[in-house]
Amino acid sequence: MRKFASILITSNNTLRHMSFAKGSLFLFGIFIIVSWIFIFLPGDSGFVELFRLETWTNIKIFILRLTGTESDLTPAFFQVDRWIATSKLAYQTLAMSILAMAIAGIGAFLTMVWAARNVSNGDLGGVPSRFGQLMYYLVRANYVVSRAVPELVWAMIIVFFLSPGILPGALALGLHNLGIVGRLTAEVIENLDPAPSVSLRSAGASNSHILIYGIMPQAMPHFITYLLYRWEVVIRTTVVVGFVSAGGLGREFILRLNWFHYTDVTLILIWYLLMVIGVDLLSSWLRKIVDAD
Amino acid sequence: MKFRPAILTRHRVLLLFLVLVFAWSIFSVNWSGPIIHTGGRSSFLKLWWSLFPPDLTLDFLWIASQATWTTFTFAVMGIVLAITLGLPMGVIASGILFERSSVKRVPLIIVFRGLLAGMRAVHELVWAVVLVVAIGLSPVAGIIALGIPYAGILGRIYAELLQSTPRAPIDALSQTGASQLKILFYGYIPAVLPDMLSYTFYRFECSIRAAAILSFIGIQGLGYQIQLSLHDLMFDQVWTLLLFLILLIVLVDLWSTRIRRSLLV
Repeated sequence: MRKFASILITSNNTLRHMSFAKGSLFLFGIFIIVSWIFIFLPGDSGFVELFRLETWTNIKIFILRLTGTESDLTPAFFQVDRWIATSKLAYQTLAMSILAMAIAGIGAFLTMVWAARNVSNGDLGGVPSRFGQLMYYLVRANYVVSRAVPELVWAMIIVFFLSPGILPGALALGLHNLGIVGRLTAEVIENLDPAPSVSLRSAGASNSHILIYGIMPQAMPHFITYLLYRWEVVIRTTVVVGFVSAGGLGREFILRLNWFHYTDVTLILIWYLLMVIGVDLLSSWLRKIVDAD
Repeated sequence: MKFRPAILTRHRVLLLFLVLVFAWSIFSVNWSGPIIHTGGRSSFLKLWWSLFPPDLTLDFLWIASQATWTTFTFAVMGIVLAITLGLPMGVIASGILFERSSVKRVPLIIVFRGLLAGMRAVHELVWAVVLVVAIGLSPVAGIIALGIPYAGILGRIYAELLQSTPRAPIDALSQTGASQLKILFYGYIPAVLPDMLSYTFYRFECSIRAAAILSFIGIQGLGYQIQLSLHDLMFDQVWTLLLFLILLIVLVDLWSTRIRRSLLV
């Protein structure tokens, strides 16, 4: 009988949950229609232009310029010295992405324990304190803010007081990813098996002992994995942040495009893709090492 | 058991490697020049103190809400384009449409996986800059720029989800003589729909941030207004806009978390 009742309750719950999803889909459908009207009704949306022959000829010319077949000059990607010059910028971009991950990693490492609910309320064997509660809300609020603001907006603000170069870009990327990695790892800590920490506590361990022997060994592999995974995203975004912070490939990309040096643009895009692929491979290899032990 | 010196576990080697790489990245910064540029300290203080209070005049709140709405509509249209591109590409890339023995199967999987990888390798703003040069500045250029990389991400996830569906219902369907397309609609899609929806909603949150920075190429919205206010040194307006952006992201985050929780019961 009780089993039957529990089935009834679960199915009822599932029904309610499904109806929330359906309602959300319906709402999203309305958003789609309204957005469509809002963007395409004014008539200057550029939608009609997509079906004009002229647009497609322009695209064709643009692609021809990128491949360098349109002019008599030697394309930049066939010149060794251009490759070397761009490789220096690629090196800077790589350094920027790593510095960004270091900033995000150190920041998240120092704060993530505060942001876990089960640490602040004592479920992991610690003593709940006012200070812990306060830190929980402070750190969580900080994560929300740093995550919600896109890297490029952080960069626009930071170049107001830091001189252009690698540092402001790395700081912008670091701030944004600090919120993401911090939140993800805090959620891992919240789902940890409390048994090791609780038994450590009953054996008389102090708070720092619980942190070092109860929480960190379980959380660290996840933390490193998230950092490596975010690195793949960051290397793509580093170029974009470079648009405003003037470090690495990004600035050069915008300048070359404005100067109509199209084959240089192609060369920069080639380096960009090489780095994205390289980081993807390296990161997945390193993540396998983390998982292996 | 194989003996390994305790100090050289793979984890420690990895940690050492990461620390060394970090040290290298610090030295690549030019520390000799001025880190904070002239007047940087005063503009930082000015920026900080203009948070108390931000610009809350009715006129500006109206501008900010309009910008928030514009950013939201671009995010919606971007994710719609991403789904319409990513779903069919993901289905083809998963290879479920073809018999295992079909000659076309493997080449098609490789081609479409490569296409999806290429689309998501390039950041949406790089797509935007390139598209503006190719087809001119218009809302459509912005939406396409958003749609391409997000289609690449969604398509890959869809393909992976479709490939990991349990075989039994699919085999049962194919034994009744259902065509590949029917198996797709009655076997695969219902099985993966909850996961697909929850992932897509998570990506929608990301697409709002992406839509906000499309301003860099001149598309209207929150990022555009932030840029304008920064140029005019109206830092109190910047804070108002940032608060609107944070509020929008938090709302969509709560919504998508709720949906995910309801779908993954």
